Amino acid sequence: MPKRLKISPKWLFFSLLTCGVIAGLAAAGYVFWVGHSEAYNVTREIPWGILISTYVFFVVCCSGLCLVSSLGHVFGVTQFEQISKRAILLAIITMLVGFGTIAMEINHPIRMAIWVVLSPNFSSPIWWMGALYGGYLVILCLEFYALMKDRHGMASTLGLLGFVMAMAASSNLGGVFGLLEARPFWYGAFLPLYLILTALVSGGALLALIVYFNHRTRGLPFHEGERSFMDALGRLQALFVGLLAFFLIWKVITGLYGRPPQGYEAMMALINGPLSLPFWLFEVLLGLLVPLVFLLRRQSRTPQGVALAGGCSLIGMFFMRYDMVVAGQLVPMRVDVGEQAGTWLAYTPSVTEVVIVLGALSACLLLYSIAEQRLDLSSTHT
Amino acid sequence: MKKRRLAIVLDTRKCIDCKACTVACKTENKIPLGRETYRNWVSEGPLRGEYPNLGQSYTPGQCMQCANTPCDRVCPTRATWVNDDGIVVVEDRKCIGCKYCMTACPYNARYYNEETGAVDKCTFCIQRVAVGEIPACVETCPTKVRVFGDLNDPESEVSELLARHPYRVLKPEIGTEPFLFYLM
Repeated sequence: MPKRLKISPKWLFFSLLTCGVIAGLAAAGYVFWVGHSEAYNVTREIPWGILISTYVFFVVCCSGLCLVSSLGHVFGVTQFEQISKRAILLAIITMLVGFGTIAMEINHPIRMAIWVVLSPNFSSPIWWMGALYGGYLVILCLEFYALMKDRHGMASTLGLLGFVMAMAASSNLGGVFGLLEARPFWYGAFLPLYLILTALVSGGALLALIVYFNHRTRGLPFHEGERSFMDALGRLQALFVGLLAFFLIWKVITGLYGRPPQGYEAMMALINGPLSLPFWLFEVLLGLLVPLVFLLRRQSRTPQGVALAGGCSLIGMFFMRYDMVVAGQLVPMRVDVGEQAGTWLAYTPSVTEVVIVLGALSACLLLYSIAEQRLDLSSTHT
Repeated sequence: MKKRRLAIVLDTRKCIDCKACTVACKTENKIPLGRETYRNWVSEGPLRGEYPNLGQSYTPGQCMQCANTPCDRVCPTRATWVNDDGIVVVEDRKCIGCKYCMTACPYNARYYNEETGAVDKCTFCIQRVAVGEIPACVETCPTKVRVFGDLNDPESEVSELLARHPYRVLKPEIGTEPFLFYLM
């Protein structure tokens, strides 16, 4: 009788992620072979697509992990110290994967590495973005080293530096969009502040998932201390998500009130246009309302509930980035015949773009899972 | 010697939408084929009136060679800048293809040129201007919609046109201070 092949969930998990990474690498190879214009659906009118929004998703997750986890090893909230190593490690991985994603969108990443040093433009928010995230990555690596070596003083100092860098980098990323006078949907002080808040939501959501799945995969029970940590994290998340809901409500009101030119059309693209499905279903329902319901009810603020809310928030965040990046470009800069006033431009990600994004998500999860297997990430404080 | 400030003055009432300017530009500047690859364009206004009394206006455009340049400001590697004649240029070897300048330009005047590996845009045919010629779009126009010249020279045709006629610029509210002037 033939032996039945036994597939363990762990084997399946790692195989699926490896397939995702291979597919992503193959898609990247295809881009190098045929060129961006053939492989991507970005256009002259919509030059930034899903790769840029995915980059924003990753690097803001990175900032958020640093901000929320700093409550432990920087600000001394002992409940949060147990997740410091895992949070900083995942922050490093999300940033590296984010860099990989944007490198696929930029036509000449190697040229970039040379000329941002030889010919810097200090008035460019993108130059500052590279400088801040580059410096931030170095700090995160040193901080992770200090945490692994149990050098608490060094970790605390670097954590404080990392906290400042996370705030600066994520708000500057908002400035990359917010300083474009030509794009009324993005322009203004809203996005820098919004990105800090969404970093907190992303970071909190990821921490909940890290703690929950660490216990589930190792078969560890949730003791009283960990339950109380998840409850505290859940309350914090409820605050962040609640604030985010108000940010969004006011963004919508200011986008519609008085029909500001171009801003109104971009907002309508979200509310009742080409982006209405990702906006209402993923950004609002899954990203805001479902997490709020789970986090505000005491009965559902269990470890499972907080983790589930975190998962929903994170999916919502991914689509929120997409909506933000694409909506700002859907209004034509020139109104010609065929592009009459009130109509939107069109952008749907190409298969190659989607596969690269899936590859990036798989790479992030795979790298973190391998690190969990190889490194001792348990805290010495708990 | 006083620096030049090159500009184009357009009388759109003369435009017949033949698109000779677009063709001349593509030929002169070796623009790759494609719907999205162009340095200049002709925007068609909506039809006015009812048959048989119909009218339509056309607005030719290209890089506005702004004085307050959003593209120059945002470029992380200084690949784009304003030269001494007021022409906004791109240095291909420094362009990283981040397309930030494309999102920053309120006139959608830029595109990515796969052949040169850099963002491309109108330079008033800088290679022609350098040898004392006028841009290809100006030279080829059968109805002389465009007039090209130095605004720092009060005797130039562009200076005289702007002194004699009312004019407008596109999207003045953004504050880019364009150097393409449309006679009214």
